[in-house]
Amino acid sequence: MKSSPLFSGYPGAVALVALASLACELVRPHLVPTNMVMAYLLVVVVAAVQLGLKPAILTAFLSVVAFDVLFVPPRFSLRVSDTEYLITFFALFIVGVVISTLVAKIQEKIDLAKNQEARTNSLYLLTRDLSAAVDINDIAEALQRAVLKNLNARLLLLLQQDGSLEQLPCNDSFELDDDGEAIARWVMQSGRLAGIGTAAFADAANLFVPIKSGTNVTAVMVLEGSETTMAGDLRLIEAFAGQAAMALERIQFSRQAEEARLQLNKHYLEQALLNSISHDLRTPLVTISGVLDSLKESGQWFDTEKRQTMLSIAADEAGRLNRFVGSLLDMTRLEAGALSPHLQECEVDELIGCAIGAIESRAGDHRIVTLVAPNLPPLLADLTLLTQALVNLLDNALKYSPSSAEITLAARCEGSEVVISVADSGPGIPASDEQRIFDKFYRVTVPEQSSGTGLGLSIAKGIIEAHGGTITATNRSEGGLLVTVRLPVEQDSRDREETT
Amino acid sequence: MNPDNKFRILIIDDELPVRRFLQTILEGEFTLHLAENGHSGLAAAAATKPDVILLDLGLPDLDGIEVLKRIREWSAVPIIVLSVREREDDKVAALDAGADDYLTKPFGVGELQARIRAALRRTLQQTPEPLFVSGDLTVELSERRVTCQGVEISLTPTEYDILRLLVTHAGKVLTHNQILKQVWGLGYLEQPHVLRVNISNLRRKIEADTSRPQHIITEPGVGYRLRIAS
Repeated sequence: MKSSPLFSGYPGAVALVALASLACELVRPHLVPTNMVMAYLLVVVVAAVQLGLKPAILTAFLSVVAFDVLFVPPRFSLRVSDTEYLITFFALFIVGVVISTLVAKIQEKIDLAKNQEARTNSLYLLTRDLSAAVDINDIAEALQRAVLKNLNARLLLLLQQDGSLEQLPCNDSFELDDDGEAIARWVMQSGRLAGIGTAAFADAANLFVPIKSGTNVTAVMVLEGSETTMAGDLRLIEAFAGQAAMALERIQFSRQAEEARLQLNKHYLEQALLNSISHDLRTPLVTISGVLDSLKESGQWFDTEKRQTMLSIAADEAGRLNRFVGSLLDMTRLEAGALSPHLQECEVDELIGCAIGAIESRAGDHRIVTLVAPNLPPLLADLTLLTQALVNLLDNALKYSPSSAEITLAARCEGSEVVISVADSGPGIPASDEQRIFDKFYRVTVPEQSSGTGLGLSIAKGIIEAHGGTITATNRSEGGLLVTVRLPVEQDSRDREETT
Repeated sequence: MNPDNKFRILIIDDELPVRRFLQTILEGEFTLHLAENGHSGLAAAAATKPDVILLDLGLPDLDGIEVLKRIREWSAVPIIVLSVREREDDKVAALDAGADDYLTKPFGVGELQARIRAALRRTLQQTPEPLFVSGDLTVELSERRVTCQGVEISLTPTEYDILRLLVTHAGKVLTHNQILKQVWGLGYLEQPHVLRVNISNLRRKIEADTSRPQHIITEPGVGYRLRIAS
């Protein structure tokens, strides 16, 4: 109930009656006493509106007494000369009480409505915050804000995880002692309210509210605040818990959906991997064992030239098989995290030399042109791995270039990065696939070319990223693919280079 | 060399198909002894006094590196390691333990024969040839003179020491540690960047294109090798 600071409670009632009496005294020469009753009724109404039911009834009673003593003859005595005044007294008192009761009821309804509106509003605000929440921490923060604003209480959120409760780390929270944790566990198991102002563990310092999804308690809210506000707003607190439960459920479902999607993706990937591996392992073996079988069974039927051709095809396939197994091993090491770069300073020149040296025998009639800027700073790198990455990029360029085409391998320094690029004049890639090209088993479909494993670029990416670098692919405007590798240059290695 | 004028080769490998394959391709040119594990390999090395040993690292009873070390305790016979282990650490470990060369399986027959011949050539020729010629590079050890495309090159003493070391082991991979130890001494083993900078300078003087070296070849993660151009 609201009460003005000037007239509060019973003193207010006395003051109002005194005020009314003073007013009546001022107009006494001009009025008959009966009309003064109006002034007293007025202050009863004021008391009912401003002070509440009981002070208003006191006001009515005091009004009767004051009226009798001050204005009804004989004055300054409780005695009444004219008995008709008794009816006036009775009417004044009854009307005063009835008005007080009516006004108090109306006031109560207004207060209730206001309270209701405030709750609806705070629930609305909480719902809005919760629906925007993307993770559990957001939910905890939204709850904290709502509880602080509406109940002036602090909140701790305990999350149920595999049957035990874990406290969410959030700012402005408080510590829960062992008793508190035991109560929280009880709340989790029973799914009932507990703590201050409730039937269970009423002597506890906090209020424990379960957040339920179905019959399952997914979390427990612990509130620290004054008993009266929390006990008065239990329904609001439970409404908060209901909203939080829905938000938690939503986040859990979306997480499960995401996991299921990843699982499915992984499944497809593994299937693709198995298909691809069995294809790539078997295909060369078909040729090799075919050649060996035919030479073993009927070698005498082939002339020397024919035998040579068959044998070199088999040898090529054996080389391909060996490279594929090597790629698979690299990939496995990369994925197992076993590939930790053994970093040492190395020259970009040297790196390029190693890569070209390793690929030269497979270059055929392609020409590899190198454009290496002079005086490049040394890289802090694992030369073996980086060579492998570069070989894979060159191998890819060779595979997709038309015969006798030129492949450009360039290196330059840009700021604090060394930029190495491989440009070919092959078919390039569909514009939408500029990122996917580095995915495992991604292959651009080119008819009559199936020699790729779809692993090379993905391995290269893994190696480059293990060096803290980036790798991107774009189509060249003049046709073909440009793969760009950016590797960070260690600042101190640069300094050392200048001093040596 | 044995009476029929062939070099003796000891093959230590536990895989029967590999032993049979090596036997087939090598028995015309060399006299072969075969051992299928580390202990019998050690015994055979002592008994047959081979001219070259081909050693597999993945033996069932003893680690190949251990076999290598035990043979090195009493013999300087060239040992060529054949292994499926392609990690550089394994190569460096084998070379530092005294292996002369390292071939990763699978390897080409021609490659193996070339490595065996190179190893034999190095042992036969106790004092190195005073004149080394490979492509456009000529090194006259007796005169400390280096010419490239007919033009005399001036090298710092350290650069010359590195080049001389590579020349005396031409065709063979020298690990970073081996070069550091021989040229700078034991105290420099942990300073590979000294070697890197010197190799880089050396290349600038003798290579036409440093990004496509023709003479000093980097074996990534292992060391350097001086190529003998045919």
